[in-house]
Amino acid sequence: MRNSFIFPILGAALLACSQMSLAEDASVKITSPADGAKLDAMAQNKVVYEVIPGPNGDHTHLYMDRKEVAILRQLKGSHTLETLSPGKHDICIKIVNKGHTPIGVEQCVNVTVN
Amino acid sequence: MDLQNLSYAAIQIVHNFGAVAVVGSAFLALWPGLVGMRKPLAWIMLAGWVAQAASGGAFGGVSWLYYGRFPDIHGIAVAALLIKMACAAAGFMLAAAYIHSGIGWSERAQQASWRALASLAATALTAAAFLRWFS
Repeated sequence: MRNSFIFPILGAALLACSQMSLAEDASVKITSPADGAKLDAMAQNKVVYEVIPGPNGDHTHLYMDRKEVAILRQLKGSHTLETLSPGKHDICIKIVNKGHTPIGVEQCVNVTVN
Repeated sequence: MDLQNLSYAAIQIVHNFGAVAVVGSAFLALWPGLVGMRKPLAWIMLAGWVAQAASGGAFGGVSWLYYGRFPDIHGIAVAALLIKMACAAAGFMLAAAYIHSGIGWSERAQQASWRALASLAATALTAAAFLRWFS
């Protein structure tokens, strides 16, 4: 019992480890378009995605060429993009917290519009 | 309890009470039976705007502390934030002016000042809703 002080420390360490593993669970997956895909400028192009926000995430922001174009509050779904100009574009989805700060989990795909 | 969420919650408490102070003090000061309370109400108004500005900045500070960047807002949200900041600056200056010499102003000027302060408070609260949901 003389070493009973170690139990709170062990408990805190375990809690910290569990928090770390939970934080790693956040993820973003853009299922469509695929990276490097060629899109038709005249077509109705959609971004299809799946998000696991993790313990610190809340919702996601969608970026087109580093400019925010939409707020995605559904964890799984699609968003129709506005008419795209011909050329190369990058599309990113970033997980943000309740204060709208990106938590560092994101996925980007590069597409070419013809 | 997660320290990050606790930080945001603590700041939100200050921000919310700041909002109550700026709206409540303005409307109470316009109440006919509370004319004699206008100077202490002006102090509450001043403290409310300080709380609003400081806690607003602290939201960004916590984001910077945890993620090395500020909240990512665009378009309508940026406009709403600028409106809130302008209201806070104008409200602070008007409340400070009232504390300094407002009691000596004519009743008409005092009424106009408190109506302006009430409008600034209501505008800031309205902008806050747009900032919250267009971010």
